[in-house]
Order: sequence, then structure tokens, then C-alpha cells
Amino acid sequence: MADALAGIRVVECGDFVAASYGAKQLADLGAEVIKVEPLGGDRARTRGPYPGGVPDPDRSGLYLYLNTNKRAVEVDLDTAAGRALLDRLASSADLLIHDQPPQVARARGLDPESLRRRHDRLVVTSIAPFGLTGPKADFRAHDLNLWCASGLAVLNGAGPGRDDLPPLKPFGMQASFQAGLNAAVASLAALYEREASGVGQAVEISVQECLASIAEMTFSFYPYMGIVPSRLGQKPIQPLDFLECSDGWIFICCVEEHQWHRFVELAGSPEWATLEIFSNRLARGANWDALKIFLNEYTATRTVQDLYREAQERRIPFAPVSTMGDLLASDHLRARGFFATIDDGAGGEVVLPGAPYHHARTPWRIRRRAPRLGEHTDEVLEELGLSDRAAELRAAGAIR
Amino acid sequence: MSDAPRPRPLEGIRVADFTWVWAGPFCTLQLAHLGAEVIRIESATRTCVTRLLPPWPDGVPHPDRSGYFNQYNQGKKSIALDLTKDDARSVARDLIRASDIVVENFAAGVMDRMGLGYEVCRSLRPDIIMIALSGYGATGPESHYVSYGPAQVPLSGFSSLTGYRGFRPMHIGISYGDPTAGLHGAVATLAALFHRRRSGEGQYIDLSQWESTMALLPEGLLAQTLEGRAYERDGNHDVLWAPHAVYRCDGEDRWVSIAVASDDEWRALASAVEPAWLRDSELAVAAGRKRREEEIDERLSAWCATRSREQVTEVLQQAGVAAFPVLDARDLHDDPHLAARGFFVELPHREVGVRRHLGIPYRLDASPIAVGRAAPCLGQDTDEVLTRVLGYDADRIAALRAADVLR
Repeated sequence: MADALAGIRVVECGDFVAASYGAKQLADLGAEVIKVEPLGGDRARTRGPYPGGVPDPDRSGLYLYLNTNKRAVEVDLDTAAGRALLDRLASSADLLIHDQPPQVARARGLDPESLRRRHDRLVVTSIAPFGLTGPKADFRAHDLNLWCASGLAVLNGAGPGRDDLPPLKPFGMQASFQAGLNAAVASLAALYEREASGVGQAVEISVQECLASIAEMTFSFYPYMGIVPSRLGQKPIQPLDFLECSDGWIFICCVEEHQWHRFVELAGSPEWATLEIFSNRLARGANWDALKIFLNEYTATRTVQDLYREAQERRIPFAPVSTMGDLLASDHLRARGFFATIDDGAGGEVVLPGAPYHHARTPWRIRRRAPRLGEHTDEVLEELGLSDRAAELRAAGAIR
Repeated sequence: MSDAPRPRPLEGIRVADFTWVWAGPFCTLQLAHLGAEVIRIESATRTCVTRLLPPWPDGVPHPDRSGYFNQYNQGKKSIALDLTKDDARSVARDLIRASDIVVENFAAGVMDRMGLGYEVCRSLRPDIIMIALSGYGATGPESHYVSYGPAQVPLSGFSSLTGYRGFRPMHIGISYGDPTAGLHGAVATLAALFHRRRSGEGQYIDLSQWESTMALLPEGLLAQTLEGRAYERDGNHDVLWAPHAVYRCDGEDRWVSIAVASDDEWRALASAVEPAWLRDSELAVAAGRKRREEEIDERLSAWCATRSREQVTEVLQQAGVAAFPVLDARDLHDDPHLAARGFFVELPHREVGVRRHLGIPYRLDASPIAVGRAAPCLGQDTDEVLTRVLGYDADRIAALRAADVLR
């Protein structure tokens, strides 16, 4: 089987999630990725989770996941010799992708102007919190700040009457994941264009804009109707909510009337279902507090999996509130081979999320585990014909 | 190096877009942004769900007036085709023959039943790339299950880890699995284009929205596999960093986010808010701050409560701390930074006039990409596509129209 992106060479200067996940898309489809980490490593190495809970920079779960199929070199880009080494790497690469904040990127020679001046064929992808231009380009922001800056956090909370609780982010560094995906899309497009033109270009990703772009219909409510959606608003349609079963939580979802009718049947056609105040989805939305009491009485008698399966058999789109254990035990995911098992580089194995897409001819695959800190520094120097300078670079603190 | 703009990356690539709702359209939106000619196959007999949802100007519903549809179908064309009719399927087959890529996000099996499955597509166009973005994937014991955007969030595991401390599982506020699937789908499609360029081969791509959403949850899954534990829901807090939260400011439902990820940022925050913290050695390191998170949160809550979110942001950014207000739709709509960057798109639309839409979150400096036209009205491009792309003559189009195929 061929790899879709075989022959594409990528230099990644990623810290944590954004550029690392973007480059992982390419690496897992066959691109050759060299990850340039600062001395001491990408901060994802300090994140865990770790096997047995014991911190070890070579066995951080987040790092092991984000850096499959990559090689790693440890280079200090705050030294002139380190920057010269990066330039050598860039000269044989097709893509350089990074997520260093704009001020830092300029100081380390990662800005597109200086890179593109020297490397005509190179695509340079810069991921920046607020983009590279505009009055807030130099604002400092982490994942949480960006989720708030994009109009997404304001949408999530505990609903009407709970303005005491703040706007809420989702689990994990989701702003960075979204930025990484956008970076992969735009970088591949620029590389594809280069096949025709022979020339690279600069690609810029604003994380704030990536997130604003996924606000579903909520942004448009303002220019279309003057309405500002918020976490405190009432859902117009119900049921579309979490309810507690005897052994966990389920998400019940009846968007269409026929789904509701089939659910009422499944619940044994109880008396309350005939009440006028629950007669259509808007009425159920308006009277959700009352309806929820009846529904809770029913779901409390059911297990999550039984209710989920019986609903799905009737084509009602309920979903379990999956725990991590549920996902790892899922027969469906197992049958599809979703989870991947890789060597953790220290004599153990680690189970990771696997292919997010299945290409029939050029499958997503793990060819090598994530690298240990600085694992390929000497190997890459040799490929660059710089083995004889390794001692000197180490003495200068440019590499370790 | 010439300064003349180069073509957009996917100029000349044609996409037969059978998608609806959000996941599929978000995938083809990326392809349209990058210059592909995306032709939506739609029908008034099976109207795209987002055409039937608000917002509509003045609250007047109409399939061509939905802001939801118009946001996610910018730059695409629309041909009306009632695929329950044999003649319509024949037109669809002609369109596939003229296309490079087919995208669909029906439940598994629907395209096959319409006689438009991958084997048929491949017989029409041997190097076709076809991607299906279904809820559960094309194979496996639950592949026939029904999937709705909001239900993907709990299914994927996000809800069990998202929420306030001690509170029930929560949503994310958007159908997060949909755009996540759409973007992974765009990556997968672009990769398949590289393979086609080098080998001449097309291929089929099976994308499960469930799986592509779990791809963004490694920390949760790995805590289970490596440490045998589940994270507890903990609001806006981080597992290692503190402070890391959203604080109420002066004003009505006004909030600001503050996140400290390094010791330098902590010293900057302390200098600006509570210089006594600088002398507290336990707080000089992340583990110590995490241990005393509640105390730090209390102090910051009190400090923010008497200041506007803009004041907090200005003072802390000046000091070198990552602080930013919680913005809503109006704030974004009127945001000078986004406007200065040229992020917004305002193009004329037959039914809704000129309204502000969100644009493309990536820029390519040499092959400038831009939204070329507003989202199409249903069937707006039927005649143009049948004539120019498929070469049908006026008589043939009239006959199809008379047989109610083009609606």
C-alpha cells in the first residue's frame, strides 16, 4: 500500500497541540516530519498522562499521541548556530509549520518573510492566536482565552437562570486542535498548488478565526436578526438534553415529531405523553421543566445501554454519555479497529486513538512511535552532512 | 519569483456535493474556499436541514433566507435535482462523470440505494475520489445507527469530561463533531488528491464522525489507558496550570478569561494584581499554585469584579498575562481586529441582501483565496451547470423540467 503524502518533507516547530496536531495529520499519511524541539523539549512532554502516573518526558501520553511518525531533534533556536541549523533543515523541506507566538517567531527566524526570502520552494505555515496582522496580533493567549475570544465559550453553560456560572470551555485544548486541523488543510492546499507553480508561499492561521468559523448558526443570529445567543437562552426544541439513567447519563434527542412518537411508544405510551402542553416540539421546549420530571422518572428505571440500543433500533438518535471506559470497550469501535496500540519507547505499550479517516488505497498508519527527546539529533545532523560539527554545536549550546 | 497572483490551489477541481446539515457542508466549504468548483445537489423534496433552521431576516422562514445555511455554503453552486426520480439519478451520474471528487454525509448505505455508491461512481469516472462522512462510519455493527450533531458530543466522550465541578455532564454549545469531521474530511480529501496526482488513482474514504471527534480527546482516553483513571469535570480549570478560569467582571454578564501557563506569566500577574504573591515561594511554581487554586481564584474574582473586562484585559496584557474577554456574536460582528484583518465577507444575496458572514480562517499570500459569491439559493445554478458542465441543450433541460426532475 502506498502512503498518500510519501516524499513530502516537513519541519515542525510545534509546542503543545496546534502545530503538532497539524503536522501529525501529514505524518500519519506518509509525510516525513522532523520535529524541532527546544532544549528540554516540547511542553507536551511535561503534560502526561504517564504510564502508572510517573512523570517521564519520553512517555507523556499527549506527546506520544501528537507525534507519531515523526523524528525529533533538540535545537535551541535562541542561539545563532541553532537558527543556522534550522535554516539547513528548511532548505531541504517542502513545508515548515510552527505555532510560536509572532514576537517569539520573529526572534527565532521563523517569520515567513525571512524564511521565504531564502527558500523559494518552501511553504511556511504560521499559526498565531490572533493572526499575524491587526491590532491584537501581539496579544498573548492560551487555549482557554481563544475559546472565549471566538464566541464559543459564551454558548455553553447550565442554561436559563444559571448566570452565576461562567461561560464554559470543553475538555482539552480544543482551540489548538482546531487550529492544527485548519493548518493541515491550508498547508496541503499550498503544497498542492506548488506542484503546478514550483513555488512555495506563506500560509497564516488565526486561531480566533478558526474557532469563530465553527460557531454553528449562532454568529449569524446577530447580522440576520439582531439576536445575541447565549448560554442562558432556552432551547426552543425539546427533548434535546441529558437525563440520568439507573447507571449513568444518556442524551435524549427527538428533533423530529416522528422520533418523539416512537420514543413515547418505547416508553410504554404513558398518560402524561398525551398532555396538550407536550403536543409538539416547540410546546415541549416551552414546558421542558415539567416534561423533564416525567422523563426522569422513566429514564431512572432504565440502563444507559438498554435505552440507547432500544431507541436506536427505532431510529431515534439517542446517544450515551460515553465514559472513556465505554469507548475503549465499544464493540463497534473495536470491529472498525479504531484504537491503535504502539510501543511507548520504554518497553511498554500505549493504546491511542487511531485513524480519523480510512483511505481505501493509502491508509492512515503508524510507521514509527513518537520520538524520545532528541532521539534523532545525531541522525539528522549526519543526513545534513554536519556530523563533524556536532561537538562544536553542542559546546555552543545549539543542540544537546 | 513573480508577484502576479497564482491560481487558487484547487482551481479546476470539481466537486459533486451531495452533503447536507453541517458536517459534510463544512468539508466542502473548505474545498470551495481553496478554489474548487463545488456543486451542491439539492432538492425542494429533501431540503437541506440548515435551510429550514433560523436565523431568517425579520423572522420570516424561507429555504433561501437561513443564515445558518448561508454561512456554511458560501462560494458554492446549487443544482436542484429530485433524486427520487430515475431521470434525476441519470443527471447525477453525468455530474459525477464530470467531477473529481464526490462528497456525501448520508447515513451509511443511502448513496448505494440511490444507485450512486462508490462502485457506480468509479465506473463513471475511474479516478474519482469519494468521501463519505457518516455518523458511525461505513462498517461495524452500529453503522446503521442514526446520528445527529448534538448527540455526537456525548457519544464521543466529550460530555463526560466537560462541565462544572460536581455538576452533571455538559454539552459544548455547538455540534462539535460536525466541523471536526468536516475538517478531517478536507485533510483526507486533499491527501487523496496528492495520491491521484502521482498515481492516477482515485479512492474511497470512509470517515466516521464519532472517530474523528475522539481524535481530539487523547488526554481523556490516555488517562484511562495509562493511569486507569478518569478526569473529573472541573469547569475551566486546567489539570496542571493555575490560575486558569473565567472571572466575572463589572457589568451585566461580563466575563474575562485568565490563564497562567508559566512562572514568568505568574510573576507578571502577581505584579499587576497582588504583589504579596511575589514573596510567596509556594506560589512560584505551578504545583504550588494548583494546590492553592481556590484561594487564587477568590482573589482574582474580587479583583475582576470591580473592573470592566476591557480594563482587566488591557492591564494584564500590558503586564504579559494571557487575558481576554468572553466575546459574543455582537462583539465579534463589531470587532475592529477581525475587521482590520479582512475576515468578514459581505456579498450580495438575492433574498437576504448584504449581511456580514465569517470568512476564511487561513490566508495564502501568493494564491489569494477569497469567498467569490454568497451561498446559492436552492437550484440557483441548475441551468448553468446543465448547460456548461454537462453540455445539455435547451430542449433537454426543458424536458427534464417538464418531468419535475429539476426541483
